[in-house]
Amino acid sequence: MIALLHRRSTSTAGNAARIFALVFVFVFVTSGQAFAGGEGGGLPPDAPVLFNIGPLPVNNSMVVTWIVAAVVIIGVQRAMRRKQEVPLGGQNFVEWLVDGLHGFLSQIMGRDLAKNTFWFFGTIFLFILATNWAALLPGVGTIGFSSQEVEGSRVFTHHVEKPLFRGANADLNMTSAMAVTFFFWWVIWALKSNGPVGFFKHIFAPKGKSEGVMKVMMIVIFAIVGVLEVVSILFRPVSLSFRLYGNVYAGETMLESMQGLVPWLGWLIPVPFYFMELLVGLVQALVFMLLTSVFTLLICEHHEEHRHDEHGDDHGHGGEKKADAH
Amino acid sequence: MLSILAQLTGNLHIGLAALGAAIGVGIIGMKAAEATGRNPGAAGDIRNIAIILAALVEGIVFFAIFLAKGQ
Repeated sequence: MIALLHRRSTSTAGNAARIFALVFVFVFVTSGQAFAGGEGGGLPPDAPVLFNIGPLPVNNSMVVTWIVAAVVIIGVQRAMRRKQEVPLGGQNFVEWLVDGLHGFLSQIMGRDLAKNTFWFFGTIFLFILATNWAALLPGVGTIGFSSQEVEGSRVFTHHVEKPLFRGANADLNMTSAMAVTFFFWWVIWALKSNGPVGFFKHIFAPKGKSEGVMKVMMIVIFAIVGVLEVVSILFRPVSLSFRLYGNVYAGETMLESMQGLVPWLGWLIPVPFYFMELLVGLVQALVFMLLTSVFTLLICEHHEEHRHDEHGDDHGHGGEKKADAH
Repeated sequence: MLSILAQLTGNLHIGLAALGAAIGVGIIGMKAAEATGRNPGAAGDIRNIAIILAALVEGIVFFAIFLAKGQ
């Protein structure tokens, strides 16, 4: 697993610097105070603080974030250290990953938009995937400090109150940092491709052609729809962060409660759920990337309409032809 | 009957949201499978749309869990 993580990473040389810079931004944005709250038993919703560096409290999910980021960065650097014409081993893996992601994104967003924004979506996918899977490693969430006595009958369910590591996406600070970073870039990309007036028009102006009284009505209706649109846009970072946090946190809690379900089978029952969590980790990384890229596409589409249509038509015709053949 | 209903407590809103979302995701999966069967060439696009929609539906449950106030 660790060996896998070493290679699970980013980038061709051009994008590498920007991707690393972004990972660092994530790491430092997540350095906030732990999310308040707490209940007895199970995984606490807030990550416990391990120690302080000056005024900065360091909690266990931050430690995992730093480790995962360092592993990703060093892994990619090592894989791309000696570049060859015909890639082998680590370089081959990294190139396959980045190339596949890039192809996937340009299929969704169109080639130009994908080229400009790939550094963000590629990073976000690989980083979420790496943190989700790192949270499943043995020792994460199980090694740490506890104030409880060890109960003899329930050896495997002994609860660690202050684990050294915690799945980084099981902390709302991490996911909301990523969602807010996306929102920031979304506004920048929207302004870049539409301009300030175009951005405003894209949200509030009526679409389609109409005449006379209908036109006035359309303007009023689309202005009201625009208000709804603004609300839904402002809600996007909230829903993005809660979705990822909720999934990962629920997964951790489920693994823990499965362990305690039947005391003497605590080592066996969670195993199938570990496989499910592997799948959930991949799907949630995919969902975060897909949703953010579709949001970006929706606001930037305007500009690249025919170019996008060309790609879309290609796929559409291919599909229809195949369907006709049947 | 009513007195039994009146005794219901706990995080009912989460259960109801999960019920609705489960039905919704089920319908999305059913229709995605049907659409793929009808037009296998568009399987990739259908998969993307299905994942996105399932994620949007799923988000409702997390709103219910974290944003709505339970007793």
